[in-house]
Amino acid sequence: MRFEERTIGKVFIAKVLVSRITAEVAPALKADIVEFVTQGHRTLVLDLSEVTFIDSSGLGALIGSLKSLGDDGELALSGAREMVASMFKLTRMNEVFRMYKNPEEAAVALA
Amino acid sequence: MKILLVDDEPVARRIHSTLLRSQGHEVEEASDGEHAWRVVQESQVSFVVSDWMMPRLAGVDLCRRIRTAALDRYVYVILCTSRGEKADLIEGMDAGADDFLVKPVGPEELRVKVRAGERVLSLQQGLAQKNNELARINNQLESSHKLIEEDLRAAAWMQQRLLPSQSLEANGLRCQWRLEPSGYVAGDIFNFFAMDEQVVGFYILDVSGHGVPAAMLSVTLSMILTPDAARGSPLKHLNPLNQQVETISPGDAIRELNRRFQSKDDRYFTMIYGLFDTGSGRLRIAQAGHPGPILINTAGHPQIIGTGGMPIGLWPEIKFDCTELSVSAGDRLLLYSDGVTECVNSEGEAFGESRLLSFLAKSSTQTLDTILDGLLGEIRSWRQCGDLGDDISLLAIELSESLDLASR
Repeated sequence: MRFEERTIGKVFIAKVLVSRITAEVAPALKADIVEFVTQGHRTLVLDLSEVTFIDSSGLGALIGSLKSLGDDGELALSGAREMVASMFKLTRMNEVFRMYKNPEEAAVALA
Repeated sequence: MKILLVDDEPVARRIHSTLLRSQGHEVEEASDGEHAWRVVQESQVSFVVSDWMMPRLAGVDLCRRIRTAALDRYVYVILCTSRGEKADLIEGMDAGADDFLVKPVGPEELRVKVRAGERVLSLQQGLAQKNNELARINNQLESSHKLIEEDLRAAAWMQQRLLPSQSLEANGLRCQWRLEPSGYVAGDIFNFFAMDEQVVGFYILDVSGHGVPAAMLSVTLSMILTPDAARGSPLKHLNPLNQQVETISPGDAIRELNRRFQSKDDRYFTMIYGLFDTGSGRLRIAQAGHPGPILINTAGHPQIIGTGGMPIGLWPEIKFDCTELSVSAGDRLLLYSDGVTECVNSEGEAFGESRLLSFLAKSSTQTLDTILDGLLGEIRSWRQCGDLGDDISLLAIELSESLDLASR
């Protein structure tokens, strides 16, 4: 999965560069997030501002990543657009993931 | 290597064949072109060294014949000419000769040109072998693919048999449905049945992912989601206080399902489960991450019920909406899967909730059957291309006008 990576303080921000998170890329997404944690990043923000669509496999991968992080770290989301935001609302995942408007807001909240 | 040496002049033929034999090759001699042609056809010889000027069939014509014939192998041809003229060279190459020797032919020149030809031949033979291997593998792949398709078709048929019968009625409720799997098998499933003389149950669920793994879970679920308590259904339980088998609430049923189906691999399913009590006229709906059902009242106003809930299978404790409302005779309820609203057209725009709601408002006076066919038609023309992208499930329930709820 392609990301644009940067850090703000100790917050690691990975911007997803694909517009559709579907079954084909979901396993790679989860593997990459787990890899970020393995590399030592404990506070992660996944920037979804380029993502216009996420399917059930994509949601499963995000949830799987969150679960595998466990107490080892924090995974938050930022920039969720219409379709993604409404899917998260329907599945109450907006109560499971911390969600922010943009990475800067997330970085401030998670610092 | 076996070489066919063609020359009508015996002395030259003897000299060249001796040379070739001394260089380790096996030589078959032909004194004219027609004889040589017969040898090419009847044997497996792949290397021809031929004189040009010969009666009956010239070397260049022998070459043409070899090139145009449908032989089962490549034949390397060296033409020998006494006139090393450019025009001859060109005519010979045009006729398909691979190389040239100008008489008198020196032994070293003969040796290296034959060796170059050997190299080309072995490349050619290597290619032919690889092609055969590829063709064999292709055939194997085709057979495997056919087997896999047969398996999928059988699985699809099995799934079809688990679907409710086309037109259902229970306790004064009518039900119609449509299921368009995106592949052979679907991760969506739904059903509608009488729980007892008074209560009707219905559900729709959507397993995450797609293909065979999702379908396997959806089949498993559809087999246990029955009103038959004896088959381990999570929808009923034995009340310890009165030893009666009772229908449990939609919320408790979801919680029981969540308890039984905790996933080890990020798989989950979304679900709507509802119970309609014809005695009280009350509808209870539990919504676990699935799009809310749409209630269309007799005035034709469609309304989405519920705001959401967590899907089943991800965490031991989940929170989800439970809604209870009164419904009247003539009211209709449509349950659907997100394949409907998320169906995108060629511009990437989704069909969406608004379009669905306005279609239902427009078609509210039609029969369930007509509405479902009409909605599928709308989705297909939205999509334009053949496949619909995701499973499309529609379950429409109608409270019969004859249902006498007011008096109960």
